[in-house]
Amino acid sequence: MVLVLAIGDLHIPHRAADLPAKFKSMLVPGKIQHIICTGNLCIKEVHDYLKSLCPSLHITRGEYDEDSRYPETKTITIGQFKLGLCHGHQVVPWGDLDSLAMLQRQLDVDILVSGHTHQFKAYKHEAGVVINPGSATGAYSSITYDVNPSFVLMDIDGLRVVVYVYELIDGEVKVDKIDFKKTSTATL
Amino acid sequence: MSPAALLEPTTKTLPESSLSTESSPERGDVGSNRGFWDLRGVRWRTDLGVLPSSSSVDDVRRVTANTRRSYAALRRRLLIDPLIPKDGSNFPDLVMDNPLSQDPDSMWGRFFQKAELEKMVDQDLSRLYPERGSYFQTPGCQGMLRRILLLWCISHPNYGYRQGMHELLAPLLYVLQADVERLSAVRKLYEHYFTDNFDGLTFDNSDSAYTSHLKQIPQHVEGNNEIQEDQVKFNNLDELDPKIQTIISFSDAYGAEGELGIVLSEKFMEHDAYCMFDALMNGSGGAVSMASFFSPCPLNGPQNGLPPVIEASSALYQLLAIVDSSLYAHLTELGVEPQYFALRWLRVLFGREFALEDLLVIWDEILSFDNSRLNSENDLETNFEVLDSSRGAFIVALAVSMILYIRSSILATETATSCLQRLLNFPQDGNLGKLLSKAKSLVNIAIDAMRSGPPRMSNDGVHEHVKPTGFRNHSLSSDAASSGSPLSVVRDSYWEEKWRVLHKEEQKQTSPQKQGMGQSQRKGWSEKVKMRLLRTESDPSSSKAHSEKMGPSRRHVRRNLLDDLARQLGLEEETENEKVVCGNGGSEENSSIFSDPPSPVGDVNDNEHENDSEQSSVASNILVDEPEAEPESKPNPEPEPSTAADSGNAIREVDENGPGPVSNGLEEATPTKGVENEESVGKPGLNLKERIILSGKHWFWKFGKNQGDGFMEKGNDPTNSSLVGRDQKSDVASSGADVTSKEESVNQNKTCSLKNLGQSMVENLQVIESVFQQEKGETGHVDNLSKKALVDRGQMTAMSALKELRKISHILSEM
Repeated sequence: MVLVLAIGDLHIPHRAADLPAKFKSMLVPGKIQHIICTGNLCIKEVHDYLKSLCPSLHITRGEYDEDSRYPETKTITIGQFKLGLCHGHQVVPWGDLDSLAMLQRQLDVDILVSGHTHQFKAYKHEAGVVINPGSATGAYSSITYDVNPSFVLMDIDGLRVVVYVYELIDGEVKVDKIDFKKTSTATL
Repeated sequence: MSPAALLEPTTKTLPESSLSTESSPERGDVGSNRGFWDLRGVRWRTDLGVLPSSSSVDDVRRVTANTRRSYAALRRRLLIDPLIPKDGSNFPDLVMDNPLSQDPDSMWGRFFQKAELEKMVDQDLSRLYPERGSYFQTPGCQGMLRRILLLWCISHPNYGYRQGMHELLAPLLYVLQADVERLSAVRKLYEHYFTDNFDGLTFDNSDSAYTSHLKQIPQHVEGNNEIQEDQVKFNNLDELDPKIQTIISFSDAYGAEGELGIVLSEKFMEHDAYCMFDALMNGSGGAVSMASFFSPCPLNGPQNGLPPVIEASSALYQLLAIVDSSLYAHLTELGVEPQYFALRWLRVLFGREFALEDLLVIWDEILSFDNSRLNSENDLETNFEVLDSSRGAFIVALAVSMILYIRSSILATETATSCLQRLLNFPQDGNLGKLLSKAKSLVNIAIDAMRSGPPRMSNDGVHEHVKPTGFRNHSLSSDAASSGSPLSVVRDSYWEEKWRVLHKEEQKQTSPQKQGMGQSQRKGWSEKVKMRLLRTESDPSSSKAHSEKMGPSRRHVRRNLLDDLARQLGLEEETENEKVVCGNGGSEENSSIFSDPPSPVGDVNDNEHENDSEQSSVASNILVDEPEAEPESKPNPEPEPSTAADSGNAIREVDENGPGPVSNGLEEATPTKGVENEESVGKPGLNLKERIILSGKHWFWKFGKNQGDGFMEKGNDPTNSSLVGRDQKSDVASSGADVTSKEESVNQNKTCSLKNLGQSMVENLQVIESVFQQEKGETGHVDNLSKKALVDRGQMTAMSALKELRKISHILSEM
């Protein structure tokens, strides 16, 4: 019952001032065990805020991040799952599933979390799952119209992961849920 | 759920060994179930109301099965995993039921609450009975405990989980485990009775049906000849020892309700433990529910707004006051609120005070008392909810008897901290039987006292709260140390008046003297101290003897010490001596019983000392001459109590007894001193001072007899005086110190013959009184000069009186 928050592309302060209030009220410390952040926060204050929600924070470098010490990619093992993290601007074409799958195979992970497109996506293919949490602030993107603020919460329980997607549509928080199961030896 | 790990601790002693046979049938209501007194689990379940008290095995089994079923249902309902989708139900509204949902009623909200609870419970469980870790720390047992506690807390959200609940649950589980082990022991012995008896016959594989019944006997022979003979003898179940019989019928898999009805069952230990725990916490509809001790808010309406555990603590103190008011007075003077220690005692039913075996015996007793309410009528109100049942009364009585058990060491304490230390480190090797029998004797007192005591519950609603208010106020006062508050304020009006008069007088006085300045401050303090001490006089008569010595708080305490059981002479003396030596400067604590700032008390002592200047100096001189006096040349903080103690005790005893009848005399005597120290304050104030002075006098020569260390103190005169820096003789301080130290040292009691001596002492004091009274009459508000004059005059008269006293002390020493 490990709760992992996947969030990214906040672009604070350049393109957005802050997280939406409704999102912020939901994100309280104590519930979440890990935070994985795709990048483009961009400033240290946002990093500190995320750190306050959960001490276990994993973050990769987006092209607008002001802290250059973040890695380009990262792999984390949580429970039975291996998670891969990458901002996504390095993978061209941006948002292309096949290219991301290539990256996933390179990193050898079950779940790849990447961003940059500011649009929520969750794909399942034979090699694993690719999740894009979108932009938590709904920041402007040159490749996506009508960006809705969104983020993803994963509930990892043994061999099963439940993905809760939180989107702010027309001022209301909408939640969706997707189940993924992993067979014991093979990947998803 | 109950892995074999539970049966590991074969080295653990079964509770039978520590069973107290005294507890069984007298109080039992139901004869037959009382007979299960070697099956603690069954007995406790009956006492708690989980099992019916009927004698029929079938009934017992049926109820057992029902309780287990209910627990299983509860568990299924509450420990559900939120991830598992409910069969056939639509997806719950995700907006409400997502993990980040703020809604506390959502599945996830409850999940997180449960996680919180679990964290708290685990914290406590990991520290449960580490000395018995072989059983309690095994994962199986811990898992059971955790589940039980979680389920109970979830189903009683208004209580939540409080530390201590695990300690209540642990012995219950232990007892069940012991029963199961006994069952397996019996099973080994009487194995052939435990075989599956479908039709009352046993079938052997090789033989045909009708001969098998007879033939099974030799086949089940164990290697032991004894067993073989037993088995041959007891063919029939009925011929067995009835206890064994019950065990067997309880564990028959084919009795009523089948396996679920097996009363001693390892598989259902968790269920049974939960039911017992629930019954214990709820009180089974009786008066005492342990859960109430954990709740911060009062359960009953308007009667008192106190948390039930505080109320129970005050009931404890009230019972103590009735039974042993001197001890009660001592505790209240120290400022020891009952809930400091009673909270722990009551909340875990003494689980932290005794070893597990002893605790089981104690719980046997507690649970054997009925918990039903004694007051069923609505118009009668008990003062204390906890005493509304005999079980509650027994719990309170047991607490009181525990306090009485360590009476002597409590009375030896001078500070609240040390007193609490003694109370909270109850000796574990105590004589349980004595403790329990004393508690039983107090139960009736408790019940009667609560009914027929000052709270006249029958008619006058007003009276109901008069006396308990007094006690309740006492126990409720948050700052017991605040002047004037801790003591019983029953006769408030009278003493309040005196105090206020005193206060006014003090305020009128100017204190240009250096001494005066400090004094007036201290006077105010000393006045308060005196008032406080005086108030103790309003306590029941038995405390009067002790409260007579209205000296400084310290003296008062010492009197109690003397009067009661023997104490550690050396320790007390040493501490006292040392403290006195350095304490006169006013910066230290004079091991005052009050947690008030030590300096005022020290100042009070100083004042007293100064007041007693002539007397004390005389006394000290006298004491010096005593044959038993040790060389005083060097201040020796190490007292030699043994030799002097005896005589000291004698004198003390006299003092103790003497003042009893002499209280009035004391009152008159005090004015003498009062005049010296304080300006003439007014009669009530003088009375107070008189007391203090007189008592000081008593102490002086008392101690003079006793302790060598007291004499050592005299050697400290110079130091003391320098510290004090008074106008008056420096002797005073040291002598005062001596007195106090001596007081400390005297511990033992003497025979009543000493009372006679006390009487003569009193007469002498009265002489002094009269002298002082004359002086007092002459002086109005006094300035420095007049004060000095008074002092001088007082000194003369005091000296003469002191000589008389010395003679008495000589006599005593020779005894």
